[in-house]
Amino acid sequence: MNIEFEYRPGSTAVKITLDAQESITAEGGAMIAMSPNMDIQTTTQKNKGGGGGLLSGVKRMFAQESFFFNHFTAKDHSGTIYLGTSLPGDMINLELTGKKIFVQGGSYVASSADVHMETRWQGAKNLLSGESLFWIELSGHGNAIINAFGVIYPIDIDGEYIIDTGHIVAYEEGLNFTLSKAGSSWMSSILGGEGIVCLFKGKGRIWCQSHSSTTFGQQITPHLKAIKK
Amino acid sequence: MNIIINGSPTFAYATVDLEPNESIVTESGAMATMSTAIELVAKLNGGFIKGLVRKFAAGESLFINHFVNKSTQTQRLTLTQPTPGDLICHELNGETIQLQPTAFVACEPGVTLDTKFAGFVSFISGEGLFKITVSGRGKVLFGAFGGIIQRQVKGEMIVDTGHLVAYDPQLKLKIQMSGGLISSLTSGEGLVTRIEGDGRVWLQTRNLQGFASWVNRFF
Repeated sequence: MNIEFEYRPGSTAVKITLDAQESITAEGGAMIAMSPNMDIQTTTQKNKGGGGGLLSGVKRMFAQESFFFNHFTAKDHSGTIYLGTSLPGDMINLELTGKKIFVQGGSYVASSADVHMETRWQGAKNLLSGESLFWIELSGHGNAIINAFGVIYPIDIDGEYIIDTGHIVAYEEGLNFTLSKAGSSWMSSILGGEGIVCLFKGKGRIWCQSHSSTTFGQQITPHLKAIKK
Repeated sequence: MNIIINGSPTFAYATVDLEPNESIVTESGAMATMSTAIELVAKLNGGFIKGLVRKFAAGESLFINHFVNKSTQTQRLTLTQPTPGDLICHELNGETIQLQPTAFVACEPGVTLDTKFAGFVSFISGEGLFKITVSGRGKVLFGAFGGIIQRQVKGEMIVDTGHLVAYDPQLKLKIQMSGGLISSLTSGEGLVTRIEGDGRVWLQTRNLQGFASWVNRFF
């Protein structure tokens, strides 16, 4: 499998070249174009042919992901597939080597066959954090492609670090976050418009997005008209 | 202080390295990530009454943030703006620039921020009733929706409404129709701003109002 990113970072698309019989799983609706020799199977399960996937499909919808997965397999010879997302912004490839990675709901694009995926409830704190209540937990070995609104940049944390709500894309096992304030005073954090932030503790890498789709949404809302009746 | 802008022109964000005891003043909500060793102090944006006027008349934030590095090592924070687009880091050497209220992102403490009445011409042209003036010495970070075009005006220049981000204070803004009455109404340009004088202007290649009206068609 060969993974290449094009048109970064504003309108990133990923071009994946699969060898014969190799397959990739992508979120429903992500495919832009592909070779004619691709076999597509649609399931509610990460792994093809598995039963009882209805519940996991529903859980995924809570994580702002699509209900269905598409499994693309290059049949007789190698083939290419382009994947994209609905929001403008960057995509990156996460190489999984056994360590779990937690991905913000809505940021999952695709993963290779040996990557396992679970939708996890990440606690009521996310009602306040502005992040999704359900996160995608990736484990196993292989590649996972994620997307964001804006540029994705990594920060290696050893100790503590503050990430504003709406800017988390994914983080490694070994890190954990609690809701906190920016600086030492709640008063300054709230009056200064930073409000609640995520305080990460531990050791590992976090991937942040340069812009927050929620903040952009709030910016544009006053200019939008009500639905015509 | 070291400021690096990455992600230009579509998704620009600024990485700021603060040396011990250095500080940066930012627009409310501009911080995306920061080291826990940085202290945040929210201060009134120039007095309580003035601040209230700005908040309710200009839609600006009542408070601005001062991020201070109180540790003994270099500490990092990243800053962003609400809309996708470019950022510019401009060094002021005693001169003044006028900014649209939404354009301001951050400045060094040596820069003075002030809100001024921009006049009704500015209001009619969709640029708001108030403007921010930045003066003094130090770096100013400002942003836009889309890319930023910098032009030297000599004599005059016509700018469509909603595209002006920043300009030198000696320039005069006037509102006019883009052409005759009929062509102004039918060309989609409507009112435009005529900028007169000699000085610099910074323009944005997109405008939020225009984007919103395109989105509105789907509702």
